[in-house]
Amino acid sequence: MRSERNREGSGVRPLPGNRRISVIAQDPSVKDAKGRILMAKIEIPAENLMPGPSGYRVQVVDYDSSTGRYYGAHVLPQDFDEELKAWREGEQPIVKDYRFHAQNAYALVMKTLARFEFALGRRVGWAFKVHQLKVAPHGLMDANAFYTRKEEGLVFGYFPSRTHGTVYTCLSHDVVVHETTHALIDALRERYLDPSGPDQAAFHEGFADVIALLSVFSQVELVEELLRRSSKSRRKGYLSERDVQPEALRESALFGLAEQMGEEIQAVRGEALRRSARLEPSSKWLTNSEYLEAHRRGEIFVAAIMNGFIRAWTARISLHKAKDERLHALRVVAEQGADIAAALVTMWIRSLDYMPPVHIEFGDALSAAITADSEVRPDDSRFGLREHMLASFAAYGIKPASKQSDGMWDPAPGGLDYNRVRFESMRSDPDEVFRFLWENRQQLGLREGAYAKVLSVRPCTRVGVDGFTLHETVAEYYQVAHLTPTEFVPRGLRLPEEYVAQLKREQSDALKRRRKRLRGARDKEEPSTEGAEAESDPTTPIYGGGVLIFDEYGKLKYHVHNDLFGSRQTERLQYLWETGLLRAGAKGAELAVGRLSDVHRSRAIAMRRLPMEGW
Amino acid sequence: MATKPSAVEVRAYQVGFGDCFLLSFVYRKNEKRHVLIDFGTTELPKRGKLKPAEHMRRVADDIKAVCGGKLSAVVATHRHRDHISGFATDGESAGSGKVIAECNPSVVLQPWTEDPRAARDARVATRDSSRSPRSFLAGLTAMHKIAGQVFLHAASPPRAMSVALAKQLRFLGMDNIKNTSAVNNLIAMGQKGTAVWAHHGSNSGLERVLPGIKIHVLGPPNLEQSEKIRKMRSNDPDQFWQLLGGSRSLKSMGIARGGQPTVGVHRNLPVPVEARWFRDRLAVMTGEQLLQIVRLLDDQMNNTSLILLFEVGRKKLLFPGDAQIENWSYALEDAPNAAATRKLLADVDLYKVGHHGSRNATPKKLLWEAFKNRGKPNGRRLLTLLSTLPGKHGKSEKHTEVPRRTLLEALEAESELKNTHTLSFAEDAKLCHKIEMKIGR
Repeated sequence: MRSERNREGSGVRPLPGNRRISVIAQDPSVKDAKGRILMAKIEIPAENLMPGPSGYRVQVVDYDSSTGRYYGAHVLPQDFDEELKAWREGEQPIVKDYRFHAQNAYALVMKTLARFEFALGRRVGWAFKVHQLKVAPHGLMDANAFYTRKEEGLVFGYFPSRTHGTVYTCLSHDVVVHETTHALIDALRERYLDPSGPDQAAFHEGFADVIALLSVFSQVELVEELLRRSSKSRRKGYLSERDVQPEALRESALFGLAEQMGEEIQAVRGEALRRSARLEPSSKWLTNSEYLEAHRRGEIFVAAIMNGFIRAWTARISLHKAKDERLHALRVVAEQGADIAAALVTMWIRSLDYMPPVHIEFGDALSAAITADSEVRPDDSRFGLREHMLASFAAYGIKPASKQSDGMWDPAPGGLDYNRVRFESMRSDPDEVFRFLWENRQQLGLREGAYAKVLSVRPCTRVGVDGFTLHETVAEYYQVAHLTPTEFVPRGLRLPEEYVAQLKREQSDALKRRRKRLRGARDKEEPSTEGAEAESDPTTPIYGGGVLIFDEYGKLKYHVHNDLFGSRQTERLQYLWETGLLRAGAKGAELAVGRLSDVHRSRAIAMRRLPMEGW
Repeated sequence: MATKPSAVEVRAYQVGFGDCFLLSFVYRKNEKRHVLIDFGTTELPKRGKLKPAEHMRRVADDIKAVCGGKLSAVVATHRHRDHISGFATDGESAGSGKVIAECNPSVVLQPWTEDPRAARDARVATRDSSRSPRSFLAGLTAMHKIAGQVFLHAASPPRAMSVALAKQLRFLGMDNIKNTSAVNNLIAMGQKGTAVWAHHGSNSGLERVLPGIKIHVLGPPNLEQSEKIRKMRSNDPDQFWQLLGGSRSLKSMGIARGGQPTVGVHRNLPVPVEARWFRDRLAVMTGEQLLQIVRLLDDQMNNTSLILLFEVGRKKLLFPGDAQIENWSYALEDAPNAAATRKLLADVDLYKVGHHGSRNATPKKLLWEAFKNRGKPNGRRLLTLLSTLPGKHGKSEKHTEVPRRTLLEALEAESELKNTHTLSFAEDAKLCHKIEMKIGR
């Protein structure tokens, strides 16, 4: 084994941190000029793998639960040079090579994890307590792929193609990255799978799409191939002026990739790219009833970012063009596109730290991205990413949630008390951060009488503008209160009237049933209703919370906060009631927790729900 | 013969979880015309000792006796087993379908999705990428295949699958398996008489055999109609089923066999210790995924249901089969004549409760709350017919039980409810509820 070899003759050379590995650039239907599957060589963290492959963060289990068959623990080539020629060059047999499937899934999960860790400057643990994410590359026969917290893993389905052979979701770059991103969002923002407003449900899907698509576009090989196909230039290896106009790039890159992607695999994904590229900029989508369905609403978010990507890319191309130049070197344009895609991936991953822990809305995500990016990369003159993102989001009617003119979050409030907390402890200890919250609850707008909990405290390291290393801390907390309908009123909040009426009905029905039972039990004696009447009023939970960003001195820099009794809560509760996610039960509210596998399926079949017509 | 009926008799047969209604329009004392709406079951009550086949035969014989050996029409609202199994001519229903065929229905009315000519095309046209009737129908065909696979899977469930889940899968799988004998009998009866395949707004073909009665076909919308309201949706809901079911042989690619690696792996190896926890979790989750698929599949099929409104003099009788809200919403909301339809339905006198009382088949606001005859005193009160068998479908803790408790309470409180479940299930018990309505001329 290579690691053994390196250990021989102690201290000769340290083990390399990264390794190169072959993956399919998008999916098996995207071919190169010679008709072979377009491959990409990517860098992932090097590690001493066990058969599976099983590594320090990912355990591939090639078990097919539809057939009850285990395909064995795969042993991957240790190095790029040891890979089969068929793998490196994308020959057709890799589509049926389960060992390659395992490599493709493993490598893309690791690449995505590495992107997150690179952007955030720290290790990112999974949402569950163990270190390894389980990955089933052929988990079941189903036109679906999903992340599941309960099973601690990613499950990739496969299904018979309508035309030929089998479609394997684990061979699609965007599908693997999309599912891994779900796992990572869940690791960083565990409450984002909870029922909230329409944006939160859409965010998980939209954000996973964004990271997946930008990850695909950050591969130079693929961008080059897409541009080459649609080039109008007669000179090989060059693009004409027309080829690099925004509309042409949207056509060649966004639509070009959508056209190339396997039709059936796109159906599984709900055609994220095609549809978001087609969604013309307009503020009307946000209020359109069809775009209130989570699986459609995410497309607005994706469209805003992908159009921003095209804006930044074309601006970059024109910036570097000499006046008398008529042609653009294809490779250079492709590299610029891939670089911008990679920079955007980093920008959006970083933004997660600056997003509120509950009730995310698109405007919050935008402010978070602008703030995070300004903090880490104050000089934006190279790509102008922030400017392009703000402009593109504005075209879809999405404004930053902060009131600041530049879209950044407001600085933390002054007058905070640090006297009773210990600086070192604050960097990792939830109890210490909770003490800080407790001491400053009034200044920070926490609501008394509600339960509060620090969800996480994460130290992160980044390189400052001066090249020095900075240590910052990100902490999340949330608050919850279970209130009876009458308790909502003095807090300025309103529950949907129909919901309250239903709560009353359910409660009185439960009481009747209980009386009936009591009567039966007491052999038809006149029952005492004592006890039954004493049942407390049913409650409905509401959630709030915030994220605290501390600087290297332990001082609070930003406090991004969703007030527990904020004015948006009434609107959210109304939305939850109308969409059937909030239901009235005898003991109070019942909130339907969504599963990502359901969201994906609803998306695939463009499901329409009319919950108010149900019983 | 009189040109208008003076009364109508409605018989709601006890068929467990299924539907079977006989409408008899009385033109003169000894002159009646009979329409059978659905005849199927997926499960009978456990109370009796009768086998399903024997029971369905008894019902068929009773129908034949009541109609004197002549049915004016047979309506099969949609293809689910619990609506058509009785039409089967094989041993499974002791030839109950033969008895119905002997009654020589003049008209056989089914939704447009059952047109056998389209279905023949559908098999060769599954590659249609655009949304077309043929690809839609191929999707429905694919569903049957999936249902068959699901049923087999749940019949010998994996170790980790719970008993309750396997039971639900078997039930839903069974209901969605293609009932070839019944389908063929419906086709044969249609060939002998007149076959009509209807969609929203089309002619039912029943007026010819039921003089003086107006029949409105309110659903299902055909693709052209539903496409108009789907401009913003670019992907095909039915495509999904084809993806799953596949046009190629599911036999070789199906759940029973899975994908086929050809390179680099030895097949079916023992699962190592470190992978067993995940393997067991996967097995449980796969069952849940199947249930989700088969539920959607069930809904999709329900939404091909005919929705029929019989207007007899001033009386209105509404038979929506198992139509769920997605089917209803076209007639009530999206169709150009939706407002007129809502007005037409407001004074319905008799409502056959949709889909055995499930939560999504009686649109609460658009339909139920608009019924003017709800809560009126006896005599003018809304009549409701419910054919159901509790405990077979859905879960009360998830508010999906059939019949749904809240709907049942509303039916009991605000209408005069005839529930087939209250009929005893013994050899000497009566087979149906019978309702008689006078019709003012």
